Amino acid sequence: MSAGGLLRVVAPAEAAAPLIAFDELGLDFSGRRILNRLSFSIGRGEIVSVVGPSGCGKTTLLRLVTGLVSPTRGAVRREGVAVDGPAPDVAIVFQDYANALLPWRTVAGNVSLALEAARVPAAQRGPRIAELLAKVGLAAHAEKFPRQLSGGMQQRVQIARCLAQRPAVLLMDEPFGALDAMTRQDLQDEMLRLVRETGTTVLFITHDLDEAIYLSDTVVALRANPGDASSLARTFTVRLPWPRNQLATREDPEFLRLRRQAYDYLLEAH
Amino acid sequence: MAAAILAASPAHTRRAWRAWVLPLGALGAAEALLRWRPVQSDAVALPSAVVQALLQALADGSLWSATWQTLAAMLGGLLAGGALGLLVGVWFGLSRRVAARGALLVELLRPLPAVALIPVAMLVFGFGYRLEIFVVGFSVFFPMLMLSHAAVQAVPARLLEVGRMLRLTMAARVRKIVLPAALPRLFVALRLCIGIALVVAVTTEIASNPQGLGYALLSAQQSLAPELMLAVLAWVGLLGWGLNAGLLALQRRWFGGLAATGAGR
Repeated sequence: MSAGGLLRVVAPAEAAAPLIAFDELGLDFSGRRILNRLSFSIGRGEIVSVVGPSGCGKTTLLRLVTGLVSPTRGAVRREGVAVDGPAPDVAIVFQDYANALLPWRTVAGNVSLALEAARVPAAQRGPRIAELLAKVGLAAHAEKFPRQLSGGMQQRVQIARCLAQRPAVLLMDEPFGALDAMTRQDLQDEMLRLVRETGTTVLFITHDLDEAIYLSDTVVALRANPGDASSLARTFTVRLPWPRNQLATREDPEFLRLRRQAYDYLLEAH
Repeated sequence: MAAAILAASPAHTRRAWRAWVLPLGALGAAEALLRWRPVQSDAVALPSAVVQALLQALADGSLWSATWQTLAAMLGGLLAGGALGLLVGVWFGLSRRVAARGALLVELLRPLPAVALIPVAMLVFGFGYRLEIFVVGFSVFFPMLMLSHAAVQAVPARLLEVGRMLRLTMAARVRKIVLPAALPRLFVALRLCIGIALVVAVTTEIASNPQGLGYALLSAQQSLAPELMLAVLAWVGLLGWGLNAGLLALQRRWFGGLAATGAGR
């Protein structure tokens, strides 16, 4: 993938070999073909968004990367090795934050769960939790319970728990879909800042084309009901400067051109 | 039990006295009727005589010792049968394969009325606590199993996925995710099982075991003391109501709204 454009200000270090490769990936579910002959790869530190009509297998693709689901055909490879189960440094942010947080644990307790799973000694957890909560702007809410927080704040808790895993790969399944527009933009920028800081590779599922273009190095469009064709309908390389800016980037002629191209394509696909 | 739930709900507590009008009125009417037209009966007594008998039995300690005997047998049965049912139910909830293998055995044994086991259990254990604990244990085992199975199945799939993504061990997933998430429903299961345990303990005592409140009821009947018999009956009712009300208060305090959704299902 030639995601590295000349206009990029902060370019992630790109390894020669891709970090994640989808190799002729296919999945059937109860007789229905969800994904077929899907091949593309994601470089280290790259942000790739997946868009497409509902039922095109976006979430399925994400679940295949987690290893919670196994493919019918082909493979997901990480640094050449087929994925066969959850890895400690692959984290996932779910859209339904209310179901993904433990309601009986405080904000700090929820973040602690990831550290407990990673067998971080109890004495070291406190400072790590404080640091992570500061990163997502929740330092003042450590002792609150999830139900006492707004949707955007609950989603930040989930992001902090994922960051506690020190993820090499961050999977995001429409993470901002249930949030209001302002909160969504705030979280988009925070997420970009956090993953760029650490060089985390991101696979981002969304149905919002603007969001996909704004956040990504590459936007991948999937096709619903692929039949014998490939699920991969089109790849758009986003050559917009970094860091992105909610106003300037969205007014950039290149942004508008990509947006037009992608919308035209999706309208055609329907 | 449903009446106790209604009576204890917050909207009703403010006008609690209204709820007492009907039962106290009925007792007053019975007292008046029996004084006006006295009947000679082994089954009926003046409410005032019943209250007197109750106070008398409480004062001489006989009712207390019978109460402790019944409570001890209930608790023993709950600990034995309930804990075992909880373990098996959680196991069934965690593994679909185990649940499928165990389903037939459960379906075959579950319809057996616990009290039908009294003759068999009497031969094995003789009279006393062990007999009663066995029968109570058997009676709460299956409800506890099925309710805890359902409680574990109702844990949101998303939470289990979070546990798997974090690569928590099976034991850690059960301890940190499954049990806390199922706890409100498990507590509701405990409440139901305590109700069952009281019914079965008293039944066992009436049917065969010469101890506890059931036997006190039976011996009052056989010594033709209807006022004492009715006093023990009222006491059993109060005990059941008190146990449920106490547990309900604990449930509200510990689980709040969570338990309401647990009970609603």
